[in-house]
Amino acid sequence: MARLILDHASVEFPIFGARSSSLKFTLAAAATGGRISRHSGVTVVQALHDISLELRDGDRLGIVGHNGSGKTTLLRTLAGAYVPTRGKYLREGTVSSLIDPMVGIEADATGYENITIRGLILGLSRQKIRLLTPEIAEFSGLGEYLSMPVHTYSSGMMMRLAFAIATSIRADILLMDEWLSVGDAGFQRHAESRLQDIVTNAGILVLASHSPGLIERECNMLLELDHGIARGVRRLTGASSFSPESAFAG
Amino acid sequence: MPERHASASSDWWSGTKNTDLWLTLAWYDIVLRYRRSVLGPLWLTVSMGIILLGMGPLYATLFKVPMSQFFPHLTLGIIFWNFFTATIIDGCSVLIQAAPYLKQMEFPGSVFVWRSLARNLIQLAHHIVLYIPVALWAGIALSPRMLLFLPGIAISLVNLHAMSLTLGILCARFRDVTQLVSSSLQLLMFLTPVFWFPDSLPERSKFILYNPLAQLLDVLRLPLLGVAPARGTWIFLLFFTTLNICLAATLYAVKRRQVVYWL
Repeated sequence: MARLILDHASVEFPIFGARSSSLKFTLAAAATGGRISRHSGVTVVQALHDISLELRDGDRLGIVGHNGSGKTTLLRTLAGAYVPTRGKYLREGTVSSLIDPMVGIEADATGYENITIRGLILGLSRQKIRLLTPEIAEFSGLGEYLSMPVHTYSSGMMMRLAFAIATSIRADILLMDEWLSVGDAGFQRHAESRLQDIVTNAGILVLASHSPGLIERECNMLLELDHGIARGVRRLTGASSFSPESAFAG
Repeated sequence: MPERHASASSDWWSGTKNTDLWLTLAWYDIVLRYRRSVLGPLWLTVSMGIILLGMGPLYATLFKVPMSQFFPHLTLGIIFWNFFTATIIDGCSVLIQAAPYLKQMEFPGSVFVWRSLARNLIQLAHHIVLYIPVALWAGIALSPRMLLFLPGIAISLVNLHAMSLTLGILCARFRDVTQLVSSSLQLLMFLTPVFWFPDSLPERSKFILYNPLAQLLDVLRLPLLGVAPARGTWIFLLFFTTLNICLAATLYAVKRRQVVYWL
């Protein structure tokens, strides 16, 4: 049973060394970013403001909003990386976060070595990694490239590897940023079925995207962020099941 | 993925017990740096050997001391000093460099402190082998007092771990601390008997030996020379270690959740 709860949670970043000038105050009204304010001389960026959210098994939440509206910050908060500065965060179940696919990727190490390193970071035992390696290798479709240093890969190949590793572990909660649209058509079809598999297994999916269409198709809940403030969470009707064909359409 | 815990000690421990993760990361830190070189990590040994061979005869002549007495002292001095400073300077950036990990998921900071410590221990292992030919050449006999090296290295590791934890948190918040630490260490090198003999210091200047790194150097170097460190050294270090642990534990308990906001 997976659960994710945010109760009046706020995330505020102190920005040290940024002397707050009048220019900074005008920025607060800008089209992008969170709200900027000052407390006791330190510039504070309010990335998320007073967000309340409750997700349970079967919930597939889509997050939309402009650049800097707090989508990634919200994903990181849901992953447990940022402890809210105000409000509460509660989580039940394991998390697999695909927020930044490049975390723990060593450019000079080979594909196989990176499978080991990333596997350990994700909390797998060496034995488990050995068992999963053939599956990851096959899924990535990289073949002999896996014995080559990762810096020889294109960004699409890198994404294949990262995606293959990150999705090889089964977690109760899956957090994804929009980076998945990098792969070519062949890999996307391949990835779609994997994603569907995960979504049916994962209790909760949270997906941040700039594509309202994609979210309306794949999610059953929608959260719109605007300058770090939630413009309401609403349940979407009609999109009751995950449709693999459209997962990468956006 | 190691979980972050409510209490600082269980958080620290969940990172500490994940030995496979931090040892692997430390190992790749070393291996990947030398991947395309022919000698590989042996370069660590070779470059240290070149420094020692160059400095040994020079300083023995300058200080007018017999080479057989000076060379083992200098070898261990430079090797251990290098270990201290490299670990402390790495300690400053330990959390800053772990930012991509810390921003993506729950991670105990202690994993990255251990990673840095393990990496520096691997380097130390590559350096310390140079002492074997030096000791044989200087005719240093095996003695049971050499076993005192074991408590010596244990105390050093505890202190370096605590210092890295403290500095890792401080430097994430105050970026000037890194610069302050590295320039202090440069000065401290001359105030510590890395090159010179403590005995050559006039009585009124002996107080400078009471810097923690000079005391730590003593419990590592003297046993390997076949000499037991003074009792005062152990007592001094007992107090220093306690202080160090208290400082690190307090900072970790109070600030560990905030660190990610400063990265």
